[in-house]
Amino acid sequence: MSTHPSTATAAGTPARPHRAQSRRPSLPHAGLLLVLVLIVVFASARTDAFLTTNNLLNVLRQVSVVSVIAAGLTLLMTAGGMDFSMGGNVAVTTSVAAQLLAHGEPVWLTVVVAIALATAIGLVNGAVVTFTRVAPFVATLATATLLDGVALLIINGLSVSIGTELFPLGNSTTLGLPNLLIVAVLVLAATAFVMRYTTFGRDAFAIGGNEDVARLSGISVARDKLVLYGLAGALSGLAGIMLLARLGAASPGTGGLTLQLTAVAAVVIGGTSLAGGRGTVFGTVLGVLLLGVVANVLNLLQISSYYQQISVGAVLLIAAIANLLQRRRT
Amino acid sequence: MADPDPAAAVVRVRGITKRFGGATALDDVSLDFYPGEIHAVMGMNGAGKSTLVQLLSGALNPDVGHLEVGGQAQSHLTARRARRLGVATVPQRRELVMSLTVAENIMLGDLPSRGSLVRWKPARRAARAALDALGIGIDIDALAGELTVAEQTMVEVAREVRRGGRVLILDEPTACLGAEAAAQIRDLVCRLRDGGVSVVFISHHIAEVLGLADRITVLRDGVVVWTGLAKETDVGDVVRTLVGRDVVSRRPQRAGAAPQVGLSVRRLGHGRHIDDFTVEVRRGEVVAVLGPAGDAQSRLFDLLSGRRRPDRGRLEVDGAAVPFGRVSRSLASGLRCVTGDRRRLGLIPDLSVDENLLLARDRLDGRLLHRWKLLARRAAPLRTDYRVVSLAANPPVGLLSGGNQQKVLLAKWLGTAPVACLLEDPTNGVDVAAMADIHTLVDALAAGGVAVLLASSSAEEVMRLADRVVVVRDGRMIAEYGIGSITRDELVAVALGGALS
Repeated sequence: MSTHPSTATAAGTPARPHRAQSRRPSLPHAGLLLVLVLIVVFASARTDAFLTTNNLLNVLRQVSVVSVIAAGLTLLMTAGGMDFSMGGNVAVTTSVAAQLLAHGEPVWLTVVVAIALATAIGLVNGAVVTFTRVAPFVATLATATLLDGVALLIINGLSVSIGTELFPLGNSTTLGLPNLLIVAVLVLAATAFVMRYTTFGRDAFAIGGNEDVARLSGISVARDKLVLYGLAGALSGLAGIMLLARLGAASPGTGGLTLQLTAVAAVVIGGTSLAGGRGTVFGTVLGVLLLGVVANVLNLLQISSYYQQISVGAVLLIAAIANLLQRRRT
Repeated sequence: MADPDPAAAVVRVRGITKRFGGATALDDVSLDFYPGEIHAVMGMNGAGKSTLVQLLSGALNPDVGHLEVGGQAQSHLTARRARRLGVATVPQRRELVMSLTVAENIMLGDLPSRGSLVRWKPARRAARAALDALGIGIDIDALAGELTVAEQTMVEVAREVRRGGRVLILDEPTACLGAEAAAQIRDLVCRLRDGGVSVVFISHHIAEVLGLADRITVLRDGVVVWTGLAKETDVGDVVRTLVGRDVVSRRPQRAGAAPQVGLSVRRLGHGRHIDDFTVEVRRGEVVAVLGPAGDAQSRLFDLLSGRRRPDRGRLEVDGAAVPFGRVSRSLASGLRCVTGDRRRLGLIPDLSVDENLLLARDRLDGRLLHRWKLLARRAAPLRTDYRVVSLAANPPVGLLSGGNQQKVLLAKWLGTAPVACLLEDPTNGVDVAAMADIHTLVDALAAGGVAVLLASSSAEEVMRLADRVVVVRDGRMIAEYGIGSITRDELVAVALGGALS
């Protein structure tokens, strides 16, 4: 309860621990950081290939897409919402963008259309959840399935290559940093800023903490929710473009539920409450990194994919428990 | 009556000190609880009552000192162990499974079974017996969620006694109850005592405690400042001991209300709950709506705040019509509705005190950026004016004591320049000093020209605050008085249904 940097430490004045914290000053997400450090130490001891600039940049490039989705999800889940269709949205976006590019449309138009479409999908989710009061979990799981199907329809079940259209975004670097990473960092920083320093972001905490109180306090809950779902959609669209840029083609199974679950896992590992009212972008970043590093290490160690899956699950469990233990202690 | 033999004490608290961070919640507290005795523990919000309850029930362990239960020192008490030793707590928030029947709730965790099949007949019989033993006449097949709050308390007490509770800690069992229901609970407490149970009774209600308890302990700032027999003290003494000074909450001379009507509710009707309700409040006037807990006055919050749309009626603030059913329109009119249920409808427990204080004002002002340093600076005067006290600088509001949470709630709304306001049970669950503070705040509000509508179930509060009172029962208005033309006792008689014309 106390590892809540957005309210506890961001308040500007130092030395304002509340009751429990003052007993033992604690770093937010210390448990999660510890798990991450342990894995890094273990990996660098086992293989020289891990701690190389190339490999680390590769990891960061790989987690960029999921971190953009996770950023939107963090904000949404803090407000007590949930969107399971972001992966499906990515699938649709990549498919549409790939088809547009393959048909010779210019890049700028493709990007605009893809993100507008993704935002519209998010708004539809938001409208369903806000106005029919179907549980977000159920509503967006339904759209997720629907969108996965639509994506397959658009590319007709075949791989659609885009040539080198988006190559600079997906594979080039600026000042030594992959462009994908730069986009992801910008999105994460913007989300963190919104959550901490804007009334809209604080509204999300209020709505997730107690929706009735938020409404009675004059917060336009319905409007905020629509915007949040729309934003989640827009970020899915952006993530879709990024993914397409990295892969160079839209194929069956790009995006979809696997990507979605990774994002949800990262956000939850990062300490954002499934019930709403609590969440930090920093925690989400740690969650994304943890999952990315584990996948990378297992690859480097050439562990069979069966074991990879088992290990990822185990790390998830350990990280979640570490997070919870720390929260209880403080 | 001499002090009973200490060896007879069923629970002894020996020199307990408990600190949270730098703050000492309890300081070298020693107390004895005897069987067949009602021992009231009183104290202001934050005096250490809750900490004491948590220590007794095993939720916390002391830093120094120990508990003796049944003559044996307990070093590491856990909630489970305390319960096994017969120390049971009935907390302020009901702990029943609302979707199960009364019988299932009483037998929870102890359903008689054969193999893995529940044997319903003996289960129901045992539940019935548990209620009968305490003289409680509640249908065992009713769902817990359908019971009144008082009945839920009774069921919980019966469950704890059936499980072998020899020491029952009742944490404000009569808070939020109407007079009749509170009397039923008090009867139950007396029966428990007569049955040999040691009752630890936590209450803010001084008159109630003096009439009910055998022994009273007063905590102040974590220290036992007085413990003795109830019959040896009186209200004035208790208040002085509680607060450490005299507390006077007297009606001030109020300038007459302005002629303009600040708030007007006309022919309000909503289902069976409220029927043809009309009231006009002038600016600078306090008008109370008094009724049994849960009656028409408890519907006003939902209907006036815009949470629910009534079937019919008309609302005007400062002469301008306000449409029902829209929170934003209600707020824009200058009407502020302060709920009596701060947990559910008032505050966001995870957010900090400052953020809760300014939650509404910042939205009304249309602020876009949330600047933390500025927030602390803007919240500071509200904290001072409303005397919000917290151990740490700016904790999540959920960690504050009840009285302080209530002050945060009032500050949140009354700090937004209201034209008219609805206050629902504004001193719900707060101590005498906080109550006096809040009364003064309401006086100041009226003096500032705000039209105040007070929805209350407490005749004392109405007599203290209101200029006029409207009495409601079964959803209907049954009487209206100027406060000078009626005494408290007459008011209670009318509210309870006695005829007085």
